[in-house]
Amino acid sequence: MTTDLGFWVLQTLNALQLSMLLFLLSVGLTVIFGLMHFVNLAHGSLYAFGAYIAATLSGTLGYWGGFLLAPVAVAALGAGLYFSLIRSQRRAGPMAQVLVTFGLIFVAVDATRLVWGDLPIGIAMPAILDGQIALLGVDYPLYRLFIIALGLAILAVLTLVLTRTQVGAMIRAGVDNDQMAACLGINVERMFFLVFVVGCALAGLAGAVAAPVLSVTPDMGLQILIPTLIVIVIGGLGSLRGAVAGSLIFGFVQTFGAVLLPTFSAVLIYALLAAVLVTRPEGLLPAKG
Amino acid sequence: MKTTIRAALAGLATSTFMLSAAYAEDIKIGMLLPYSGVYAALGQDIDDAFALGLETFGADSGVTFDIIREDDEVKPPVGLAKTKKLILQDEVDVMVGIVSSGVLGAIRDTVDDAGLPLIVANAGNDEATGEACSPYITRISFSNAQVNRPMGQWLMDQGVNKIFTIAPDYAAGRQMIDAFTTAFTAAGGEVVGQEWPAFQKTQDFGPFLANAKASGADAVYVFFAGGEAISFVKQYDSFGLKAELPLYGSGFLTSALYVEAQGSAAEGVITALHYVPTLDNPENAAFVAAFRERTGRIPSEYAVHGYDSARALVEAVKAGATDRETLAAALPKVAFTGPRGDLRIDPATNNIVQPIHVYETVSGPEGLTQKVLATLPAEADPANGCEMPAVN
Amino acid sequence: MFTHTPLRLATLALLAAASLTYALAAGFFGLEILAEIAILAILVIALDLVAGFGGMVSLCHGALMGVGAYAFTVAANDAGLTALPAMILAVALSTALAFAIGAVCARSTGIYFIMATLAFGQMAYSFVFQSPLFGGDDGLSGAPRPDMTALGIDLSDSRTFAIYALLLVALAYAIATATLRSGLGRSLVCLHHNEKRLRALGLTVWRAKATAFAISGALAGVAGCLAAQHTQYVSPGLLSWTVSGEALVVVILGGLGTLIGPILGAILFVILKHEISSITPYWHAIVGLILIAVVMSRAQGVFGFIEARMAARKPQAQIKKVKADA
Repeated sequence: MTTDLGFWVLQTLNALQLSMLLFLLSVGLTVIFGLMHFVNLAHGSLYAFGAYIAATLSGTLGYWGGFLLAPVAVAALGAGLYFSLIRSQRRAGPMAQVLVTFGLIFVAVDATRLVWGDLPIGIAMPAILDGQIALLGVDYPLYRLFIIALGLAILAVLTLVLTRTQVGAMIRAGVDNDQMAACLGINVERMFFLVFVVGCALAGLAGAVAAPVLSVTPDMGLQILIPTLIVIVIGGLGSLRGAVAGSLIFGFVQTFGAVLLPTFSAVLIYALLAAVLVTRPEGLLPAKG
Repeated sequence: MKTTIRAALAGLATSTFMLSAAYAEDIKIGMLLPYSGVYAALGQDIDDAFALGLETFGADSGVTFDIIREDDEVKPPVGLAKTKKLILQDEVDVMVGIVSSGVLGAIRDTVDDAGLPLIVANAGNDEATGEACSPYITRISFSNAQVNRPMGQWLMDQGVNKIFTIAPDYAAGRQMIDAFTTAFTAAGGEVVGQEWPAFQKTQDFGPFLANAKASGADAVYVFFAGGEAISFVKQYDSFGLKAELPLYGSGFLTSALYVEAQGSAAEGVITALHYVPTLDNPENAAFVAAFRERTGRIPSEYAVHGYDSARALVEAVKAGATDRETLAAALPKVAFTGPRGDLRIDPATNNIVQPIHVYETVSGPEGLTQKVLATLPAEADPANGCEMPAVN
Repeated sequence: MFTHTPLRLATLALLAAASLTYALAAGFFGLEILAEIAILAILVIALDLVAGFGGMVSLCHGALMGVGAYAFTVAANDAGLTALPAMILAVALSTALAFAIGAVCARSTGIYFIMATLAFGQMAYSFVFQSPLFGGDDGLSGAPRPDMTALGIDLSDSRTFAIYALLLVALAYAIATATLRSGLGRSLVCLHHNEKRLRALGLTVWRAKATAFAISGALAGVAGCLAAQHTQYVSPGLLSWTVSGEALVVVILGGLGTLIGPILGAILFVILKHEISSITPYWHAIVGLILIAVVMSRAQGVFGFIEARMAARKPQAQIKKVKADA
């Protein structure tokens, strides 16, 4: 245990970076749940697809090609899923949704294995972001700072859209009470579609962004799923602030827990989750009261 | 259910048929490997090289080899069910394979009770040739301790006095690092810190790297494999640590199977393993060429396990073994020179005894390649609680 | 509320006869499959009890089974108990754990309940995985089979073990039906329909839920002990949420809320898995597609479908299938 300031700065930056990555994943999932009451367990698989597509595209188009096109590809995939599965299962109740998306996970894992093989693949970091920068006394990887910056930027954009635009107001109305919103003339179905596709795009973006740091393996979707679920449940379902709060809590507990209390850290986060679920099932900062 | 009854009855019929056929000169081999799931690539490498080995060495043995393949899915209960099938229904003479130590642990008693010789072509946990050793289980691959122990002295010889270790917190990780730290401290070194990230749960190693940096160590020694190895090496490089804090480890960190995915991040990392494709000897040259021609890939250490398993089996057969008992007696006695160098089996534990090669990952004309820095002499593992009864 | 209609009795008789015949005729691998089916059948009976009849969809049953398996192995190996007392201890532990989970989650409904059980299941999984006492990733071997040599039965023989497993399935089924027929069982089903009404009628809701969950946990513990005795080896993978997910898949495939349906589902699932995996290494995808198809078709699983068709034929006395709208 060090009292070295550098150590704490480094760990805080690490925690922030993990939080931002999880934020990109969870914001889509939580708004989809808040608005559509649809729990999509396959969200992690969309993240994995984003990583794989980015890895493939970066071979020919370079990192930024993958970065820009992977979210588009995953959004297209999401659109396909929406029309074939999601729309019909929306009112079918949570158990049906859990099962259908569970089935999707199975299919997705084998699909990635079929197309890209079983071996983990790597993706090179973009040259501009390769390297470290001296910050507050430590040398921190530039790419991780990029992740933090990207997360904050997306947060800013989403906040702006949700609070300052008409679309945002419509979404918030839909989250509050979708039937009333429909009565007021809002095209709720179109909104659901839009939200779902944007959520998928964000998951794909998270995958493309994470790929250079982590490795791209067939089960990466499953691995990120539980942390994402923890984030949205603790943070609060349906709200942007909830996603931020949940991501920060998870990122910091996980990062500092891993180095300070290694034996307890795994159980700790689940205990926290259970505690929230039992005392405040809606989460800490849910969309509705 | 009907199909399974039919299959079961067919199985009964075929096994009776096979019993009579067994009097002909053929050896039935049961291959138990992961053919699906995340370890499928390793299983495939072992399988391809095993078939290659049989063709290369078994052609003039006067014996035909029948291979029955089963997928253990890296799940112990599945591995056990398939093992029982191979033993009781297919009545194989010998079993080859096992990638996962978990599966090995599950089937050990069954194999031992049935008196079926098993050639372990990967699973490295120390107990298999330690407390849980068996006269029927011969390991041709490696043991976790064996691959790491020699690095203790070697690092001291390079002038590294203080080391920081990082490895995932599970049995294999612990065994690998403990073997290293025991040897390192015995040689006079100091372990200034250790980290054990949660196995398969940790994707971000940043927190642990920060600790390593703050520890004042001369170097870092790690064990990771598969996807975690890729993440770790890349993250180590992204923090720019290699210059002041050189990275050493067990060779699985930069295995030929996935080192390309690590890219330039792997350059300069020095690790030790019992096999690299660039070993300079005639047997390896022949092996690499033949494997490339057959599969289009460069062989990994998993492939050489398969190749040498085939060689070991053929040597046993050439020594006159024809069925389970004679094979079980002959396998621990094989010794030959293969792509890894001179190999033999230690009769006290039935574990392989082989030299360990220290190598640095460097950039080559066709991508990343391994530059062998030193070859450390072969050393048998300590008995570790193995009491080997005589094979009757 | 749970009655044995002629169809159900006929199916039960058929299942009993078929499985017994198979146990006596099958080859060695077939007996392994039979034992695997039996273990899964007990687990899904346990799950159907709370999920199908009580509307409490749980993703922690795999963990409960794993707790039973590990408790049995540790009790038999380290505490030196013989198999039968170890089983009793293991089942007691899984029952207590299930009661606690049921009580704590009693106020949660719908998706929150599912996620809460997932959280608790994962907690158990992480705990077992991290703990050096339980062998971590390498698992624990050496779980013994009950010693019935006094009765002249040798359970180390595959065939005898398979029949022992089938008897345990029958026992689990009997316990489940007895529970459903009892006052608790009726309360459980009514809770599923309208919790507020029962609360108004004076029922201590949390206790009823927790007790039902506890009985389900006991059965899951039995499945765990059987699993440990079958492979004589336990690993943390038993507690993973994907095992719970697969159990749920089997219940749906067979027919939620029919108790017999899940047994059929278990047989179908295991056979399907083995048949498909021998053809292709991508059998996960096929199972996933089948699952999606079954859920989207809104059929009530194989047995539910059969029952619905039989009911449609009868002019009077409709067997009403009350849909779970969890």
